[in-house]
Amino acid sequence: MEELILKLKQEIIEALNLEDVKPEDIDENASLFGEGLGLDSIDALELIVLMEKNYGIKLSDPNQGKEIFKSVAVMADYISKNRTK
Amino acid sequence: MVVKISDNIVSPLGLTSEENYSAVKAGQSRLSYYEGKWNLPEPFVASLIDRDKIQVDGHYTFFEQIVIKSASAAIAEAGIDSASPRVIFVLSTTKGNVYLLDKRITDFPDDRVLLGVTADVVAKHFGNPNKPVVVSNACISGVCAQIVAMRLLERGAYDYAVVIGADMQSPFIVSGFQSFKALSPEQCKPFDALRRGLNLGEAAATMVLGAKETEGCWKLVRGAIRNDANHISGPSRVGEGSYRALKYVLGDCSADDIAFVNAHGTATLYNDEMESIAVERAGLLDVPVNSLKGYFGHTMGAAGVLESILSMRAIDDNTILPTRGFENLGVTHNVKVSNTIGHTEKKSFIKLLSGFGGCNAALLFRKEELK
Amino acid sequence: MKHFVVLNDKSVMVDGVLMQLENQGMAMLNDVYRSKIGDYPKFFKMDALCKVGFVASELLLKAETDGEISQRKAHGTSSRAVLLFNRSGSLNADTKYQATIQEVDNFFPSPAIFVYTLPNIVTGEIAIRNLYYGETNFIVLESMDLHTMAEQIANAFQDNETESVLTGWVDCYDENHFEARMLIINRNENILNELNKITQ
Repeated sequence: MEELILKLKQEIIEALNLEDVKPEDIDENASLFGEGLGLDSIDALELIVLMEKNYGIKLSDPNQGKEIFKSVAVMADYISKNRTK
Repeated sequence: MVVKISDNIVSPLGLTSEENYSAVKAGQSRLSYYEGKWNLPEPFVASLIDRDKIQVDGHYTFFEQIVIKSASAAIAEAGIDSASPRVIFVLSTTKGNVYLLDKRITDFPDDRVLLGVTADVVAKHFGNPNKPVVVSNACISGVCAQIVAMRLLERGAYDYAVVIGADMQSPFIVSGFQSFKALSPEQCKPFDALRRGLNLGEAAATMVLGAKETEGCWKLVRGAIRNDANHISGPSRVGEGSYRALKYVLGDCSADDIAFVNAHGTATLYNDEMESIAVERAGLLDVPVNSLKGYFGHTMGAAGVLESILSMRAIDDNTILPTRGFENLGVTHNVKVSNTIGHTEKKSFIKLLSGFGGCNAALLFRKEELK
Repeated sequence: MKHFVVLNDKSVMVDGVLMQLENQGMAMLNDVYRSKIGDYPKFFKMDALCKVGFVASELLLKAETDGEISQRKAHGTSSRAVLLFNRSGSLNADTKYQATIQEVDNFFPSPAIFVYTLPNIVTGEIAIRNLYYGETNFIVLESMDLHTMAEQIANAFQDNETESVLTGWVDCYDENHFEARMLIINRNENILNELNKITQ
């Protein structure tokens, strides 16, 4: 899971153009939206694309994103249980 | 004083403004469910023009064909000389010939994808010697183009303006809105509690505007464009730009004079909510509000021109057009939306739009009575 | 004193003075952002056209306020319009977006790129940064025609609330081919005279 969490952090940084952020700057338990990294609605949509592109997970309802993208740790857990790639 | 001399609509509902108005009044739409169209993996609902119905001689893209077809009709009805240097062409479009970016399409030169180039092709078709102006201000372009034209005419720079709003659908646009999860899987429901997003549409709509004072004519009174200064894709939660635009165009007019506000009403959760807030802030809560997206879908660059033309015809018909798809109000403020035909004796209306980039536009129209 | 910014993929000039920069293209813009602006992480989410327009406007506004950025955003204003022109529209973002949908078996449309496939977004980014509630508009022309641009800028002053227009040419074909020529024009100024200053 540690490996997946690190990989996910790098993918998030790249997909969302978080230029001056390094993986070690991201607390995997901190909220991604709101305070944490301060991501917005477009970032949430990009994370949905990331899930499909890198892990073959299609979210049937985009509102599921609110739960799944709570933090990197929650995301990694969901991915490990549902990935098809 | 800027007046509308003639108009035309080319859309899935018809090739003339009359055909379109009759179809809308009869509650019709060509919104259809498409599965596998253009090899797109996700289905979508859209209102598309039958490509075979548009025959324009010459090597033109489909976008240029609908533009030329619509403008030709409006220019003929206006009886103006499109080749005169006192005539200016103003084109409103968001994506023009963007479908040409598909590597598999090779029958036009690369630069035809540039909006200025395609506008030039159109202007040359009509023999016009002036450089056409292309307004590309997201979905408010149709109203912006009218405002641009109004100002040129008011300053005496030209005698007539041919304002054309047009956009065609393509995998580019459909997939983009799908990636935004902004599309409804069913026919759209503006302002409704169960609304799930927008439908897409395509059309070309033209108005020929003139600077001569005439009686018994539609006057474009006042227009405004204002920004939310908040987010590049989400509308302001307090409807800031939309409210400011409404306030400006109302000026010292009374809300009592306004027959209706024809809103953007795209049926996304955020847009319709935002417009209800803006209408309330502008003191227009007692004025009927409608949306025409349920008949055509969102026609992007065409919307501002198309919807204004239909609104003018509605007032000429003493009618407030129903909001097709609406059933129960689903926004915070009690805006007066209805799905049944309304009656009005009033002679003014406001066209309201919003778009990506936080921009909002409003335009006040008034029918001058014959004396 | 009148300020103006002229930049392209190889150089940046503010009021006719060349900035000493090492890189070119996007790397150059990123360097300018880091050394002269630096307080706006959203910068890195912008597409190339927006970065070009944003950097040009920031340098222009810094010159206008003698570097006192805090004065700029006091209450927000509707007295300044943002009106930009170009020939390429949003071609760079369009091309990048097309690439995300071109292949049937690698079809992943990107919302972050799609949102930038409209040239007016750069006017939105400038409005957000500076709390400009006024008029924002984008006009695409076949070429940088000063006469047409002057007509449109004159138009903008027909809005009674508009006292100044942040305007100019902001064009971006791809990340190595871009330019911006930007200035602020005030009500009653001779527009064509002012525009001539940014085309030398």
